[in-house]
Amino acid sequence: MGRKRIVNILLKEWQFLFTDINTTLLVTILPLLIIGQLILCIWLAVNFAGESALNITIFQNALANLQRATPEVALLSGGERFQVLLLSQFSFYMLLIPVMISVSVATFSIVDEKLSGSLEALLATPVKTWELLLGKALAGAIPSLIVTWICSGIFLLAVRAMGWGYLLDMVMTPVWFISLFLFTPAVTILSFLLGVIGSSRAKDAKGAQNLVLLVVLPVLALIALQISGIIWFTAFSALIMAFGIGVVDYFVLRVAVQLFQRESIVVRWR
Amino acid sequence: MTIIEAHNISKRFGDITAVEDLNLEVDEGEVLGFLGPNGAGKTTTIRILAGIIAPTSGYAVIAGHRTDGEIDSLHEVIGLLTDTPGFYEKLSARRNLEYFGGFYSNVDVEAHVEKYLKLMGLWERRESRVGTFSKGMKQRLALARALLHEPKVLFLDEPTAGLDPEAAQEVRELVKRLSNEGRTVFLSTHNLTEAEQLCHRIAVIRTKLLALDTGLNLRHRFFRREVIIRLVDPSITIVDAVRKLTFVEDVKEEDGQLIIGLIEPDKNRPELVKAIVGASGKILEVSEREHPLEDIYLKLIREEK
Repeated sequence: MGRKRIVNILLKEWQFLFTDINTTLLVTILPLLIIGQLILCIWLAVNFAGESALNITIFQNALANLQRATPEVALLSGGERFQVLLLSQFSFYMLLIPVMISVSVATFSIVDEKLSGSLEALLATPVKTWELLLGKALAGAIPSLIVTWICSGIFLLAVRAMGWGYLLDMVMTPVWFISLFLFTPAVTILSFLLGVIGSSRAKDAKGAQNLVLLVVLPVLALIALQISGIIWFTAFSALIMAFGIGVVDYFVLRVAVQLFQRESIVVRWR
Repeated sequence: MTIIEAHNISKRFGDITAVEDLNLEVDEGEVLGFLGPNGAGKTTTIRILAGIIAPTSGYAVIAGHRTDGEIDSLHEVIGLLTDTPGFYEKLSARRNLEYFGGFYSNVDVEAHVEKYLKLMGLWERRESRVGTFSKGMKQRLALARALLHEPKVLFLDEPTAGLDPEAAQEVRELVKRLSNEGRTVFLSTHNLTEAEQLCHRIAVIRTKLLALDTGLNLRHRFFRREVIIRLVDPSITIVDAVRKLTFVEDVKEEDGQLIIGLIEPDKNRPELVKAIVGASGKILEVSEREHPLEDIYLKLIREEK
């Protein structure tokens, strides 16, 4: 029954989400803006900073990490090495897409139901709290994950169109695949679960958004740490991270269920 | 057979006591009117009985399911009409019902959605967005939602509040029909006439349960039974003849009628009629004074104050 109810929630949420023009625009425009910004940054960095950027200490550290992981990078020119360094960050940069979407979508998920009065009727059905919260989180996480993967494809096409395609062999390493197909889903579910927690605890969507913004900061920190060479993900460490966040997802769902106080939601929200 | 049992239910929100030591039983197929002023604890009681919030102490058993046990199985057998019929306004009426119906086991959602949309007169508007519905239509849709899984027990919180007279009448007809089908209805309302029309018994609450009985018994408990005799000419001779009867407690004359208090009204009435006729009184009508439920309600609430 759990799966049937979760699917029921998913189908309704998707229908509801995509009848909302603002959400549809957000889910389509925001990822394209993020990709465009990334391409522009790389283009600017390559054309205006070029090889000289490698004199900056933090990039030297990151490049050293990159060359250890992918030795053939050493055979490239300085400008090309800098390009590979930037391109190899994009799978982490893509994490911003689901996280940003969750800030907007998940944070409304419970608040909207409270305000419309539908939540009390919903709580009078046999739906279990974990089914409701997981359904709400997946309803946002699945489309934003699909959008993220589509955007990754668009990004790769754009990279080829820019004439940088010959560098992609050095970018699309196992770390890239693990990041995109394991790490990103785990972080996406985490950010949506936090969004749903925020939505069930906050008095309005704004309060919930403030909570979810806390997820954006670690993602930005992750990108900064990687590009500055302080940390460097190997296939193994990326796998461990993805698994670790998957475990965190499970516990966050349990915490979400504990924090979902039916009484205060029904009684205080009028 | 008892289908709703409330055992010593109390509910406090911080320092405020919303419900205190509530005990009641409702039989299967009964319509119980739940009356009380604003803030008396009616909605809180319904939420507790419907397993949405937990009582501070006590428990309830609804159709064999305890509210402090596995509430999912309880929710399979109850239907709830909340005081605000919240819907997903951008979705159609049909889609809204399909969604809520999808949470119940062993429900043919498609067939039941059609059945109840037709029953509520909303079938023609099934593909319309709920946001375009009037308040009455939303209320009917909310009733359809509460009935969708054909629950044994229905909790209706102010089902006719804010409805126009025609829509309110339709809702009342539906409640009667549900009662005839053998469903138990727990009806919270401010509308005393409605409660009188629909309910087998009336409960009056003001944090505590003040009374629980049939309308007739409540009348008899709170007001003396009085016989009204309309005469062609209520002369002093007739009044005197009535006053002499040993079972007459008092006699008043109002608007050409005699209002007579009897010790045992059912037993004494024939003798009373005989005495009046014997005193040459020409009787047009004999009836019993019916105090409206409102009088009982106000008396209870004022006494509690």
